[in-house]
Amino acid sequence: MIQAIFVGLWGGVAIWFGISVFRTSSMVRSALSLLASMAAIGGMFLALEAEFLGVLQLMMMATEMSIMAIFMVMFMMDPGGLGQMEMTHQKRAAGVAGLAGGAVAVAAVLLADWGPIVAEADGPDMQTRALGIELMERSMLIFETAGVTILVAMIAATAVAITRQRTP
Amino acid sequence: MTVLTLALIVGAVLFGIGLYGALSQTNLVMIMMGVELMLGAAMVNLVAFWRFLHPDVYSGQMYVLVVMTVMALEAAVGFGIGTARFRQRGSVEMEEAAELKG
Repeated sequence: MIQAIFVGLWGGVAIWFGISVFRTSSMVRSALSLLASMAAIGGMFLALEAEFLGVLQLMMMATEMSIMAIFMVMFMMDPGGLGQMEMTHQKRAAGVAGLAGGAVAVAAVLLADWGPIVAEADGPDMQTRALGIELMERSMLIFETAGVTILVAMIAATAVAITRQRTP
Repeated sequence: MTVLTLALIVGAVLFGIGLYGALSQTNLVMIMMGVELMLGAAMVNLVAFWRFLHPDVYSGQMYVLVVMTVMALEAAVGFGIGTARFRQRGSVEMEEAAELKG
């Protein structure tokens, strides 16, 4: 019961701030709303007893969204949204797609038979240990591939962003 | 309603909001925010499935780590492209980005 209350509470907060991301004309407020939404998702993870992932989500998203806010200020002429610039297009089609996508997903959730629910999960210490063993044994190839992909993306992002100097 | 259903509904609603944002925004960083919300929804679903269907199999948590990696990569590459475009055109408005049209 307590778990349901906290999952619902954090879920509601995540949805509320998720909507706020696209309702404000201030880019900085959008980034901060997304940060709050992602932090609430981290809270949901904690309520769902995935403590390691919850803390990881909070730390990662706090950093990522702060960087996003900095880029927003860098890229925008009006990051505070004081000029009320219109930055949307095809709102009706996007609204229909968003509503349809969400409605289909909710219908699938309600109509599908998910099978028996497991009441108990391991404690945080056992979970972290088991996840470490999973990373270093069965899922090692995936883990290593993710590491190499991060390296490639870092090099690619730097290469794309660098100013090309024309040699005379 | 079980906690699993509740968590999955939150994931579904977040996905819908993210889809709306990714399709309706013209600014690159705002589009990326929509994509981040959709990936966040996927993570909520993965954690809920892991917790209530197979808490003994840790591949579910591993999958969440992969999605987190994808989020970080999307942000890194997106900002790289945004920086390059801003240097060339002075804007990250995607309405003006029609160079790749066939």
